[in-house]
Amino acid sequence: MIRNSNPGGKLRFLPRILVPVLLTTLVSAPVFADPAMEWVQKMSHAMRNLNYRGNFVYMHENQLESMQIAHYRDAQGEKERLLSLNGEAREVIRDNQNLTCIWPSSRKVVIDLSRKNSFSPIFIPEDIARLEKFYNLKLLGMDRIAGQETMVVHIDPKDRYRYGMKFWINQDNGLMMKSSLIDETNREIEQVMFTSLRLFEDGETLVVDTLPKIDKNYSLIRYHRGENATSMTADSAWQLHNAPGGFWRESVLKRKIPGTDHVVQQMVYTDGLASLSVFIERSSSETHRGGTSMGAVNAFIRILNDHSVTAIGEVPAVTVKQVAESVSYQNQ
Amino acid sequence: MADQDEKLSYLLDDYPGENAAAELDELLDDVNLQYRARRYQMIAAVMRHELPQAIDTDFHNSVMARVRQQAADGQLSQSQDPATAERPSLLSWLTLKPFAGLAVAASVALVTVALWQPLQQESGQLDTGLVSADQQKVQQLAGQQIQGAAVPVSTQLQLPGTRWKVDREMPALQQKLNAYLVNHTEYSNSVQGLIPQARVAGFDSQQ
Repeated sequence: MIRNSNPGGKLRFLPRILVPVLLTTLVSAPVFADPAMEWVQKMSHAMRNLNYRGNFVYMHENQLESMQIAHYRDAQGEKERLLSLNGEAREVIRDNQNLTCIWPSSRKVVIDLSRKNSFSPIFIPEDIARLEKFYNLKLLGMDRIAGQETMVVHIDPKDRYRYGMKFWINQDNGLMMKSSLIDETNREIEQVMFTSLRLFEDGETLVVDTLPKIDKNYSLIRYHRGENATSMTADSAWQLHNAPGGFWRESVLKRKIPGTDHVVQQMVYTDGLASLSVFIERSSSETHRGGTSMGAVNAFIRILNDHSVTAIGEVPAVTVKQVAESVSYQNQ
Repeated sequence: MADQDEKLSYLLDDYPGENAAAELDELLDDVNLQYRARRYQMIAAVMRHELPQAIDTDFHNSVMARVRQQAADGQLSQSQDPATAERPSLLSWLTLKPFAGLAVAASVALVTVALWQPLQQESGQLDTGLVSADQQKVQQLAGQQIQGAAVPVSTQLQLPGTRWKVDREMPALQQKLNAYLVNHTEYSNSVQGLIPQARVAGFDSQQ
């Protein structure tokens, strides 16, 4: 505290003390007070922590699929079960340890390691500040989905390296009722919309058998056998030197591909909303190079130092191409 | 309508009425009645546990495919001269086409017999002359292909799942990219609601 021996000048210092306080408040206030961001935060929290079940339709590449989801959180963590309601009854079950995919008609099962992850991160103020450099977030108004009132949030990218998004967020409980992924031509390329959604009743629990009884009629395609993905040290020589603006490396890990002797390194990049991964493994008879896509997901493959480098993610094709071509091996 | 159903039921259960011949003629001329007759046959077979597990409504296509395969195999054993290579396929098409048609007819007859035999075994006590003439007509009815193929008992239409766009079939690449996508979905923190999970659940078992 600055002392002023001149009693008459005490009042002159007050504005000087207040100015930095006011400036700090003004700078940080938009970050916390942005209503669109607040709704996204509310949605992220609800999808993580609430127990709900519902039916939804998933639209992609002119195909429409109906699915059922149940999400439950208890002291042990999150459990989630996704069931396809048309065609083959494909099922995806996830808990803290396993990600199990089941195809009953063809009797096939894949059991991979599950990461303690939710599909909705919680944003810290620094993330929000970064986000606002590359996206415009705004509230579009209210809408009604599956008989429930929602607030519509539009996340509009400021450049061509990321997709836009729209969320219809339940006004009562914050759950996502509908979402759209929008490409650079303003076309909705993927959509999910609930046709019914309810919270679990008091006392209602989700019982999920994550390991189906593997009898002689089932083929176990892959099983991780508890292999820890972080047990191998990632090769730091693999670097990305020209990532698109706003993308930073969130994690890097190296693991063995179950059932083989192959090792793959995965580097995950995100801008806070969108993400992509770079997979690097020894190239064998890799013949495909270049770009490919599946709906909203794009991938780009190139060969470098006898390794195949694959960038893949829910981002435009130009992004995965730039990322893959920016990978280098810094042999020291 | 109920009266018509009753007449149809008596007819197919081998209890024809006084105007059996006229009723049969009416049946043969009316597509809607034919549909219902087919359903009665199916129901009867189900009740007697005589229905096969799955009825292949695309039987004739598989027969034609076999015929084409045989024609192609015949082509491979010919000389490599392109001029002569052309001739066998045309010849085999001309010679095999009637056989193909016969094979299709045989397959339809086989299905007809499989469906018809149980009903024949339960013939009632009727005038043999009238029965044999009527049975010919009913056989003709049972043997007719209903427009749009028979009602399937158990079929699963295999729709293709989501696939990576590549110039040619590369199943190893499809599987690898799907494995990458599953791992990416698990280890990334993107905000896209349920879309990543729905994408993974949308994979078909071939991938």
